[in-house]
Amino acid sequence: MKKTKLTNVHEAKDQISADGGLSRRALLQSAGALGFLGATGSLTSLAFAEDLKGREMAFASWGGSYQEAQKVAYCDPFSEATGVEVIQDGPMNGAKLRAMVEAGDPVWDVVDVTDIFLFANAQDGLFEKIDTSIVDTSRVDPKFVHEYGIGCIVWSYNVGYNTDAFPGDDHPKNWADVFDLKKYPGTRTLRDRVYPTLEQALLADGVSPDALYPLDVDRAFAKLDTIKDDVIWWTSNSQSQQLFTDGAAACGLILNGRAYDVVKNGGPVNISWDQNIQSVDYLSIPKGAKNADVAQHFMNYMTEAQNQAKMANIIAYSPVNPDAFPMIDEAVKPWLSTNPDNAAKGFVINSDYWRENLTPLTERWNEWKLS
Amino acid sequence: MFAKLARDRFAWLVLPAGILILAVFAYPVFWLLVRSFSDPSWGLQNYETVFAKVIYLKVLWNTVAIAGATTIGALLLGFPMAYSMVHAPPLMRKLLVFVVLIPFWTSILVRTFAWMVLLQPNGLLNDMLIGIGFIETPAKFMFNRTGVLIGMIQIMLPFMVFPLFSVMTRIDHAYVQAAANLGATPVKGFLRVYLPLCLPGIVTGSMLVFIISLGYFITPALLGGRKDVMIAQLIQQQISDFGNWGLSSALAVVLLIGTGLIFAVVHKVFKVGPDARF
Repeated sequence: MKKTKLTNVHEAKDQISADGGLSRRALLQSAGALGFLGATGSLTSLAFAEDLKGREMAFASWGGSYQEAQKVAYCDPFSEATGVEVIQDGPMNGAKLRAMVEAGDPVWDVVDVTDIFLFANAQDGLFEKIDTSIVDTSRVDPKFVHEYGIGCIVWSYNVGYNTDAFPGDDHPKNWADVFDLKKYPGTRTLRDRVYPTLEQALLADGVSPDALYPLDVDRAFAKLDTIKDDVIWWTSNSQSQQLFTDGAAACGLILNGRAYDVVKNGGPVNISWDQNIQSVDYLSIPKGAKNADVAQHFMNYMTEAQNQAKMANIIAYSPVNPDAFPMIDEAVKPWLSTNPDNAAKGFVINSDYWRENLTPLTERWNEWKLS
Repeated sequence: MFAKLARDRFAWLVLPAGILILAVFAYPVFWLLVRSFSDPSWGLQNYETVFAKVIYLKVLWNTVAIAGATTIGALLLGFPMAYSMVHAPPLMRKLLVFVVLIPFWTSILVRTFAWMVLLQPNGLLNDMLIGIGFIETPAKFMFNRTGVLIGMIQIMLPFMVFPLFSVMTRIDHAYVQAAANLGATPVKGFLRVYLPLCLPGIVTGSMLVFIISLGYFITPALLGGRKDVMIAQLIQQQISDFGNWGLSSALAVVLLIGTGLIFAVVHKVFKVGPDARF
């Protein structure tokens, strides 16, 4: 079925180039006659293919296996369908983005940002509004639609462990286990950042997810004191993958998609879903982006079920379009954060809390690290 | 000085470099300086934060301590290296220069990752030491100060070796021989004659290594532990995570002034600076 759809898109595209004079109106009519094209959402990208041919667009994300997956799942199919050349750039950097927009000349047209970054900067006019006449937001879970961005993936911070260190069933399963050096000895690795480290510490100390916010900061730091000398603090996701693969860390924190990537390559890593902390990445368009119009079409294309499914099949980050699930491999489904079983065991990080408290708590975090 | 420069008919030769420095160094530094007082509002609030909060002074001290230790380490390793380069036969000398230069051409990130492969708990070095029975459990070579210093000393070595090499090649060996003729022991001859003659190279190399180390960033982030935070990492965090240009600029200005002061003191004490005979 998927294959047929794609073939038809290409046929229609060939028709455009073949007789050249085919108007968009005629094209829309013929597409309408094809019937199912409209239903699958390919209509919009198809209808504007003529306009976008020869255009280009810069896509900035976080590099590594994540951006590679985005290239294959979103960018390459978009290029193929529309003739737009997508330039890969990055890594995304908040300061760089802000400086670009302030200078009035952003070189990026679509940027992958964290939920906290989007919420914190949307009011400052850092992003273009999502044009809902181009982007079909109805197919995205409303939780992940923002005025200035569209969720692209849902991911989670999970308890991860090295399967050489813990080969049997007796392995760290929740944050309390990660903080228990006697029960599960070995070096830990956690993220060198105040969130979600405070959440982890409080969960480990027995606070229930619905009682977490506002965070009991003193209690969290006191709990962190108990393991601070046995932790390697990772600063990039690739580093976390490396630490788990090499066995430099026995257990700790890893993102679900990054763990899947390691496991797919035969690495000795596994994750537990207990107390997983979910977060959302958004695609957004920097204010004043030169190819903002192309970017809007790209956003629409990104949310199509088949592209969302492709992304999940490569890197196991969860789709925001529920229709993608039937197209996802059975082997990948257990790795997805929005899979109902996994979603039930975790909770979504409170971006509003962090937007307001990130600056003072990061200062406190830095002080704690040096103490 | 400017009057003399104006009379000099070759003064225009300085123009391209001068304009470049103005555009890519002086202007941004001036801009930083202004922002440290003006962002978010005019006043000294950013400097108050830097000096009132323990964290920033602690990190500044960390930065000076790591840069200082790196300088001493690079000098201890670089001095014999430069000495053997000077006194080696021509072919050997070329080879040694090459050996010092190769890592210089490799990206710092690549070199830091190479150190991670070597130093990690089940890395090459630990495997070897355990294999020959020297230690039983993996030694902690990284994620601590040791790792930072190993990485930084290696990266900084060329900046120490070449100034030393350049000074040493110009030392007339007859001085040392004369000292020996006059009855000085080899140690005395080295300490009283050779070492003082090397001083310009030592000072230049040390200043280069120290000042470059002050701004280090990647190596402490990857090889260091929880406590090995240097000022550049804080500046990066403030800009990239919070867009806090004011505080970052204040930190940068404090670092710049501190570096300038150290430079001035060394210049005064030794009557030499990085420009002398380099």
